[in-house]
Amino acid sequence: MKLLDLIKQNGEWLAPGGPKSEVVISSRVRLARNLEGFAFMSKAGRAQRADLHRLCRQRLLALPAEQPLFYVDFEQTDDIDRQLLVERHLISKQHAAGEGSRGVAVSIDEAVSIMVNEEDHLRFQVLRSGLRLRECWQQAEALDHLAQEQFNYAYSERLGYLTACPTNVGTGLRVSVMLHLPALKLTGEIEKIVRAAKDTHLAIRGLFGEGTEAIGDFYQISNQTTLGRSEEEILGEFNDALTPGIIKAELAARAQLEQERPLALDDRIGRAIGVLRHARLLSTEETLYFLSHLRLGVAMGRITGLELETINRLFLQIQPAHLQRLLGRPLDGEARKAARAELVRQILAVKPP
Amino acid sequence: MKKCDRCHRPATVHMTEISEGKAMELHLCDQCAAAAGYVQQAHIPVNEILNQLLQAKSRSGEAEPLRCPECGMSWREFKDTGLLGCAKDYEVFAAQLQGVIESTQQGATHHTGKPKGGRAEASSAVALRQTELNRLRKELSRAVQKECYEEAAKLRDQIKAMENAPEPSVGPGPQPTGAA
Repeated sequence: MKLLDLIKQNGEWLAPGGPKSEVVISSRVRLARNLEGFAFMSKAGRAQRADLHRLCRQRLLALPAEQPLFYVDFEQTDDIDRQLLVERHLISKQHAAGEGSRGVAVSIDEAVSIMVNEEDHLRFQVLRSGLRLRECWQQAEALDHLAQEQFNYAYSERLGYLTACPTNVGTGLRVSVMLHLPALKLTGEIEKIVRAAKDTHLAIRGLFGEGTEAIGDFYQISNQTTLGRSEEEILGEFNDALTPGIIKAELAARAQLEQERPLALDDRIGRAIGVLRHARLLSTEETLYFLSHLRLGVAMGRITGLELETINRLFLQIQPAHLQRLLGRPLDGEARKAARAELVRQILAVKPP
Repeated sequence: MKKCDRCHRPATVHMTEISEGKAMELHLCDQCAAAAGYVQQAHIPVNEILNQLLQAKSRSGEAEPLRCPECGMSWREFKDTGLLGCAKDYEVFAAQLQGVIESTQQGATHHTGKPKGGRAEASSAVALRQTELNRLRKELSRAVQKECYEEAAKLRDQIKAMENAPEPSVGPGPQPTGAA
């Protein structure tokens, strides 16, 4: 498996047909784990980082996981390849920008990724399309169980799994969903949701998680508390109460738009189609902004002849590293804008909506 | 340039005097400093002044900062980065971390999830029971508020029955605490 092969596929989390995919892009579960006997990353010297990296890589690849894993060693990758992994949500921005021995193990279908030497020694992630947190959790838990035969985790009876940052201590579990909330944005109710989420100790972030802005009406919502509640409680609250509540609010806002302001709604969607099909220069942000409205039109059935899957593919391929790998050469900002507009035109022109 | 605290000549001697734990800054010119007995010679070596200051500091109760014997992490360093240096830090800084953990973890102090070496399913029976109890208790207070006493009595009995039932077995993991 080569990194280049990845850009041709859509990635598990963008696969079509995920439950509630009209609102929920993807579900993610991650577990933070550290190995006993090794300092955390902030105090790990070069030699220890290298030892840890070698050990983790070897043992992860030997795990009898459901899907075979391949490994990407960051000391042998360039910036564009690491950015490619960020765009595919397989690693964090921080991991791409980090230093020293580090890398990631990824399953062939990209549902599983395990970051080595990020903030914690190991970060297991399972990512799937639609609202499928339980499935993600079951897979992550099974993987964690296999891994704990290979690794002696840092653990305390009182505090649970010990992590570099005390905000992850206990279960080390972070669950999140990526939501597309264009109608709540248009009706202005998104502010209420953001406030309510913060009151219930949830974090709301942008497309690429920590430290990123919400672009194109995409919001990542995750739990903040990792201690004092079992995995089942964290998951249950998220999967069965909070997320369905937000989905319901978004769908209600869509119905309201359809009933009260159908012209304004179709105007938004029409403008998005117009720009995307005719622009000659497009920035990432602008494209995401219009793709968001296009996605809303498709999800609401106000545009026919276009699939959510096509839009999902565009979301990935218009991003800087994907564009450069697709074209097979590095491109500067202006050249990327032109290439992006060209790609969007090509894909949307096949079937004029 | 600062002026001497006692006359109007430019201050050349700057001192921090510590008495009874309080720091007081003093800015004096050469003459006033000599008159007050702070300087015997024209120039005291800088390191000597520093040493005196440090000694004064440690005498006034500011002890050497606590460091983890394994990774060398200090509390100050943690506060700057938010990241600990090794697993041992959780013991070394247990007292200081308690507040940090409680405030970021909604008051929780104990792990109630998957135990090391065990499976999550083992603890989820406990968790589910706790979730159900929480739900029943909420409903009970709502019923009482709405003065639906018949329903409240039923809920109370359910809660009692659950509380008196034997704990679902959990592996070697710790038992859940009151922190929900």
